[in-house]
Amino acid sequence: MKQLTFEGNGSEYFKIWIVNILLITITLGLYYPWAKVRNQRYFYGNSALEGRNFDYHATGKQLFVGYLIAMALFLVYVIVGEIFPLGAPVLLVVLFLAIPWIIWRSVMFNMRMTSFSNVRFGFSGKLGLAYINFLLLPLLFFVSIYVLPIAAAIIVPMYKGSMPAYAGVLIAIAVILSMALAVYFFALMQKRNTSYLINGYRYGQGEFSTELRTGAFAKITLKTFGLSLLTFTVVMMLVGTAVALMGLGGGFTDLAQMGNVENPEELIGELLAGGAVVAVVIGYISMIFVGFFLMAYMQTRQRTYILENTLLDNKIAFISSLKARSLAWIMGSNFLLIILTLGLATPWAKVRVARLMLENTYVDVGDGFDQYVTQKQEEQSSLGEQIGDAFDVDIGVGI
Amino acid sequence: MIISGHWYASGSAAQVAAALHIDNDVVEVKTGGDVVLSCHLRDVGVSDRLGNIERKLTFVDIGIFSTQDNAAIDSAFGSLQKSNRCIHFLETHMAAVLVALIFTIAVGFSFFRWGIPWASETVAHALPHKTNELIAAESLDFLDEYWFGESEIDEQRQAKIRDHFRTQLLPLDETNKGINYRLHFRSWDHNDKKIPNAFALPSGDIILTDQFVLLTKNQDEMDSVLLHEIGHVVHRHSLEMVIQSTLVTTIVMLVTGDSSGIADVGLGLGALLVSSHYSRNHESEADVYAFEKMLVAGIDPQAFSLIMGRMDEYMEKTFHAAEVDSGIEVNADSHGGTDDDIGIDTESTAKSDVDANTENGQEENVNVIEKTGNTSDYNDLMNYLSTHPETEARQKKAQQYSECFKQGLTVCDVQ
Repeated sequence: MKQLTFEGNGSEYFKIWIVNILLITITLGLYYPWAKVRNQRYFYGNSALEGRNFDYHATGKQLFVGYLIAMALFLVYVIVGEIFPLGAPVLLVVLFLAIPWIIWRSVMFNMRMTSFSNVRFGFSGKLGLAYINFLLLPLLFFVSIYVLPIAAAIIVPMYKGSMPAYAGVLIAIAVILSMALAVYFFALMQKRNTSYLINGYRYGQGEFSTELRTGAFAKITLKTFGLSLLTFTVVMMLVGTAVALMGLGGGFTDLAQMGNVENPEELIGELLAGGAVVAVVIGYISMIFVGFFLMAYMQTRQRTYILENTLLDNKIAFISSLKARSLAWIMGSNFLLIILTLGLATPWAKVRVARLMLENTYVDVGDGFDQYVTQKQEEQSSLGEQIGDAFDVDIGVGI
Repeated sequence: MIISGHWYASGSAAQVAAALHIDNDVVEVKTGGDVVLSCHLRDVGVSDRLGNIERKLTFVDIGIFSTQDNAAIDSAFGSLQKSNRCIHFLETHMAAVLVALIFTIAVGFSFFRWGIPWASETVAHALPHKTNELIAAESLDFLDEYWFGESEIDEQRQAKIRDHFRTQLLPLDETNKGINYRLHFRSWDHNDKKIPNAFALPSGDIILTDQFVLLTKNQDEMDSVLLHEIGHVVHRHSLEMVIQSTLVTTIVMLVTGDSSGIADVGLGLGALLVSSHYSRNHESEADVYAFEKMLVAGIDPQAFSLIMGRMDEYMEKTFHAAEVDSGIEVNADSHGGTDDDIGIDTESTAKSDVDANTENGQEENVNVIEKTGNTSDYNDLMNYLSTHPETEARQKKAQQYSECFKQGLTVCDVQ
């Protein structure tokens, strides 16, 4: 087992990042494609396994045309949203329909532009499958969440006073069924999306393959759900206690400052309100951090499961050693760093994430990589990839 | 010069230890003792320097030589890589980075402070008035359906106000470029409390709420607010807001486009601050328009100050009473004087309830509700977030114009 390494560092990347921003600013955004290339090259070039590096091969020129078209589309979207607020949802539907195509093109473009040890990656997934995985399944997922509650909301009022005795039981069953369906479709969606991507990945003539089970994803989802119920309850109880104590303390200082109370009713109102505001603020902040932990938990469990079931040519295997608490720590501290520095710490944050991810990835290299050879691939435009960039379409397995 | 590294045959992952020999302009790659190739310095494709990532020398169709020895590559091939040397210089010199940082902040700041308002004003005035009608289309119907009720002001009074508006105020806008001004009377209740307000749609439709009409004590007060609304229309503020928020959204997207989603939170707040800043500027601009026209028409600008003050007083009275009743909605600020918050509340409720139209500044209103509270930071922040200048500041300006009026001037130079 060999560990992937990351050789970049925050202060070096900060300079690259700030110069990128400077050049983007003074060119009114036109420099963006070149900035993106430098960014990607920095992260890929600093990722290594056994003295062999990754590399990103797209050039600014190659991205530029796609970038201009994507910007124009984005501008149209924003303008339509401003002038005809009702037109924006229509455009969103159009975007929604285009998402599978955007993902398909982006993944293909990005894989082809990536090399490891001088050999290019590739992607051979089919567009039709992308539509099933990225359009049909998400739709089913939403339907499963909304259909039963909506049906209940329509049917229940029809009975008015004459609800049959067993109605309560029926509603409970419907809710449970709806939740079960939602978990199932969510797990199915993750399994199919991940399998689609990984089974489509190529390295030279080599093929990646993975066999994943829906049940495993469902189990992770349910565990995360249980964990979130537990942590939210605990946090809410702690916050409640803290607020009760602080609210009282604060109230007495107010009382002392004011000396005499002209309007006791008003004071009580303010005390209550003060407590409520503190509760909202503390609760909100704790929720963010609990949220980070839960996200980290789910992500690390999935990563471990996906990597251990992935093979390259049935010979080269992968292992993730990422722990939920290290990921949660990096996410939470990055969040604070970025907020407290008004974004200036972003480069360090990105480097920390990259290092954590790579150094927790191990590869069983088997016979090594020497026999891999780049396969001939057609030239492809960067349009889909740039549209994905502009509209922030999320892509990838999260590895 | 000898540089050590690795050799990969074209398209192959097989890695062999290799050395690059450079002698004058001739480049030779050797693996073990064998010479793999030799060529002229100019025929080598050298990858750009970026931090300390591995350098790749490409020999087309033959293979690549990779090395960690960036310094040696720079000294051997530096003269062939001019544009990259410049960027790399910026990226490696702390002083240059600092200059870049300060320059970026300065450019960013001036762009938001002056660039965007200037650009949107220019674009807004370059577009035909038809655009204004386009963005206002349906707005009034929408407001009528969800927000306004029928006016209870009697027909006769409405007709009188309309007549005066047409004959006395409209001629003051001598540059009128085919704008069709119309007055509309509506009632507007919020939680059973009547709201005094005046809006202008970019098309030239001006809406007066019943409570506003009832609060005006004389024609001058009514005129001052109507002129303020005409000011919004003439300055095309709605259109400017649309263009401004388009620009701000696009730029925020560009900046956050390749950073983590978390940073968006901060930038969203920034965008909010920026757009309320623009909105306050618009209010001041419309005020100045009204004051100048009032001097020309022989109306004392003090009238504006009076009606604003009265609307303020009314809102405070009406909503302060409500606040004590409900108690719980009072803010954490514990020293009384929380009118500010109520003001913000009313306004934001109004906005979210009406629809996205309002958010986009497609109505301009003389809102009344902000007031100077005490000096706590919290209130300062709230004032900054507010979309309207403080009433006191506006009244002070009215006062200055009023001085001019008393001296019989029709032009007034107020800073």
